[in-house]
Amino acid sequence: MQKRKNRMSHAFWMLIFPSGLLFFVFFIIPLILNIILSFTNYDGWKTMNFIGLSNYQEALTDSRFYSALLKTFIYAIVNLPFKVIIPLLLAVLLTSDKVKFKTFSRTAIYIPVLLSSLVVGITINWMFSQEYGLINFLIQQLGGQPVAWGRQPALATFIISLASTWASTGFYMIIYIGAINNISHDVYEAAEIDGVSAWQRLLKITIPLLMPTTFLVTLLSTVNLLKEYALIQGVTQGGPGTSTTFVIQYIFDKGFNQSLYGYAAAMSVVIMIIFAVIAFIQFKVNEGGEFTK
Amino acid sequence: MKKNKSSILLTTISVVSALLILFPIVWLILSSFKPSSELFSYPLRLFPKNFTIDHYKSVISGGFFGYIYNSLFLAVVGTIITLAISAMCGYALAIYRDSIKYTNLVFGVFLLGTLIPGETLTISQFSVISFMGLYNNIWGVILPVVTTTTGIFMYRQYYMSVPMSFVEAARIDGASELYIFRKIMLPLAKSTTVTLTLFSVMWRWNDYILPLLVLSDQKKYTIQIAIKNFIGNTGVDWNSILAASVISIIPITVLFMILQKYIVGTDTASGDKG
Repeated sequence: MQKRKNRMSHAFWMLIFPSGLLFFVFFIIPLILNIILSFTNYDGWKTMNFIGLSNYQEALTDSRFYSALLKTFIYAIVNLPFKVIIPLLLAVLLTSDKVKFKTFSRTAIYIPVLLSSLVVGITINWMFSQEYGLINFLIQQLGGQPVAWGRQPALATFIISLASTWASTGFYMIIYIGAINNISHDVYEAAEIDGVSAWQRLLKITIPLLMPTTFLVTLLSTVNLLKEYALIQGVTQGGPGTSTTFVIQYIFDKGFNQSLYGYAAAMSVVIMIIFAVIAFIQFKVNEGGEFTK
Repeated sequence: MKKNKSSILLTTISVVSALLILFPIVWLILSSFKPSSELFSYPLRLFPKNFTIDHYKSVISGGFFGYIYNSLFLAVVGTIITLAISAMCGYALAIYRDSIKYTNLVFGVFLLGTLIPGETLTISQFSVISFMGLYNNIWGVILPVVTTTTGIFMYRQYYMSVPMSFVEAARIDGASELYIFRKIMLPLAKSTTVTLTLFSVMWRWNDYILPLLVLSDQKKYTIQIAIKNFIGNTGVDWNSILAASVISIIPITVLFMILQKYIVGTDTASGDKG
């Protein structure tokens, strides 16, 4: 028996080893290093002195950091409902017995998910370009004036939001479809026999039973919105001015463009804590959900 | 009769939504075949009047095949490693959950990977990559990203659902632990493997931040970095970027079409009852 236990223990650690090693080298070490660097004035090259909490003090008084953070939060909060509700509605529609061509529709809606964030940005940007963009052309055909999409902060943020939701809808829809298919059909049949209307069935049965999935989608969307970066590079590159420079881009600008690695590391730590707190709150609100089961 | 009407209405809504969502890509593709004179003059048309592949020719003569090769290498090698190590790790975490004490602790550590987004660690990850001498090396963009908590999680979930009696029976027959994994359990997880293959190829093909930072030699650029370089300080080279973007979409879409039934579900017109 003991021999068998040893054999199993041996196999366990052997199977874990490759993932564990790579995870340690490229995740745990950077995590620790990041915390160490945040107390230094490392410039990515030669200088590296410990300067205590200076970076954190600077971050907490850096109005541009606050402004980037605030813009990121507003962006995330405004977009979150669309990121969750649109896929939910499409999933309900595309699991209904009454709907035809479901495979076609599901496939078409999923295709934008395959694009890189950069190409997503480019694709939407191309439709909204100020001169010779399709949207401005249509506006002019209808008698309106062309809109300077890229020049106004609110409009630029709108295009980024549109691109982001467009690209994620299919992915979350598929998660919802999987969850809806797992709901027992008996529940619906019973409700139908009792004369519950389709609309009531959606509100009173489907949506409540999908709460764990909605929690997962909300969590994933929140994190993805807060760390939006590559997509913006395909649309506004953070402009006009710095109006669409969200917090990850701000950190990269400080670190890689201005060689303030230590300062960037300190901001990363602050962001990590914020992310963890948000995830924790959402987790608590949902009382655990099914995520870690 | 009423049922029929609502069926037509709901089908129309879903097909129109699907077409609207697909349209920006259709517009991108059709635009990439228009000569500059049509791209930048009103009125716009849906289909090119003078169909041209000049933009594709110029993008390809700019060395685009090299970038495609680099991206393919990253995607294929990265995915093979991801599949192998995720299956091993997810399997071990599920199958030994009752016999080894530390499984939940180990899994908890891996879950940190989902809690802390990689983007916040990029600065120090880059320092580690440089320190290891992997700067400007394709392995410097492969090795840091192949461990994915998602992949480990997917395999773990799958193997949690497999009855332990499978493993017990094989053990009684005298099969070694690794033999059980490779020959019996791994083939069972086919659908997980297919799904993770598509995800991983997609992630690697679309990787942006690390390649941008790590690969400095133009010959080593991946396709995304090459596309990014059409966005200049003075503006976007639309002629080239449209064609390059379309080229970048093709391989991943073809793979998706092949594996599509595993992802979006097979023909569900009969309903998913049961």
